[in-house]
Amino acid sequence: MILTVQNLSHDPFYNQAFEEFVFQTFREGDVFLLWQNSPAVIVGSFQNICREVHVKTLRELGIPIVRRMSGGGTVYHDLGNVNYTYITRQEGLVDYDRCLQPVIDALNDIGVPARKNRTCDIAIGEQKISGSAQRAAGGRVLHHGTLLFQSDLAVLDRITTHHKNDCFQSKGTVSAICPVTNIADHLASPMTLEDFRKRLLDRMVPPGSPRLTLTAEQEAEVCRLRDEKYHSWEWTWGRTPAFTYEKSGTFAGSPIRVAYQAKKGIVSDAVIDCDAVDGAEAARLLNGACLDPECFDTICRALVGDRAEDLMDWLL
Amino acid sequence: MEKELTMPKLRPEMENGVLCAWLKEEGDTVAAGEPLFEIETDKVVNQIEATESGVLKKQLFEEGDTVNVETPVAILETK
Repeated sequence: MILTVQNLSHDPFYNQAFEEFVFQTFREGDVFLLWQNSPAVIVGSFQNICREVHVKTLRELGIPIVRRMSGGGTVYHDLGNVNYTYITRQEGLVDYDRCLQPVIDALNDIGVPARKNRTCDIAIGEQKISGSAQRAAGGRVLHHGTLLFQSDLAVLDRITTHHKNDCFQSKGTVSAICPVTNIADHLASPMTLEDFRKRLLDRMVPPGSPRLTLTAEQEAEVCRLRDEKYHSWEWTWGRTPAFTYEKSGTFAGSPIRVAYQAKKGIVSDAVIDCDAVDGAEAARLLNGACLDPECFDTICRALVGDRAEDLMDWLL
Repeated sequence: MEKELTMPKLRPEMENGVLCAWLKEEGDTVAAGEPLFEIETDKVVNQIEATESGVLKKQLFEEGDTVNVETPVAILETK
């Protein structure tokens, strides 16, 4: 038996909470979900955000960063991308094919020339259209993946492939960079994204299978999880693997060297060595501070006023 | 009685996994079936559950450490 639960939200924080709620609540049979996020960067459970993406660029673009509960690397979502979630019983060893193959078969059925590539990617030819990751707990496995239908690949490229920050010496999962393509560019007969969603859902969850919506009480639970977990600093930044950071160059015409450590997202051993910055004050403000762009921004403003944006570039 | 929990082999190809998070601290009481720690390998985050009830006596690795399969990760003191 397979069922689906409708989710029309495009809020990336809500959608992570929705998925976790469904994983915890629907414990019988298989569950298949389709959902979409407005532009957002979704990082793996155990990744160093600052190493994977350029936080300052995302702030300028107004793109939020959301940490998910599965493993793997960083992905960019927008409304040209469709996400799927497949929840099933965990049987023995980790097996990607058991979750991937039904999706690939369904894609083939609706005219997408998709095939499996590497461990858990779906590709058209050699170009990736889907990456996936899993979380296993309590005898159940949640497998989810992206499906690039008509995403803005230029933004994806800008956010996830450039600006890798090598100043971080850190443990944690590093994202792989792959050539990607949009499904819409490979269809023999064109279809809209709405058609694609509907036809994929009909293949995965045949007519007659339960199509549910959350009750008001369940909805409230999802919102609680969104606010208490996915919007929290503890989840998004506090789970950053321990790291040491070091960067040097020129700031405001003077040589600058910045170094610090962070464990569980709390900064220590901070040094800003530069004639244009009060080093003692910098150390006082940074040590014990939360690893967080807002917090760093406030500290930079206190230290150098109008040059805060430039100093931020040396800190993250 | 002391019981070791090891890094499981989750895929035939798996050689090691990363200990991502401790969900219990040393000295905490653990019920059978309760998750003890999280590991990541090949994009899967897996919660590892205690097989018996007891007290978490020792965390043998730190969060972020890469651990070879079948290597002990935790020592559980059981009755």
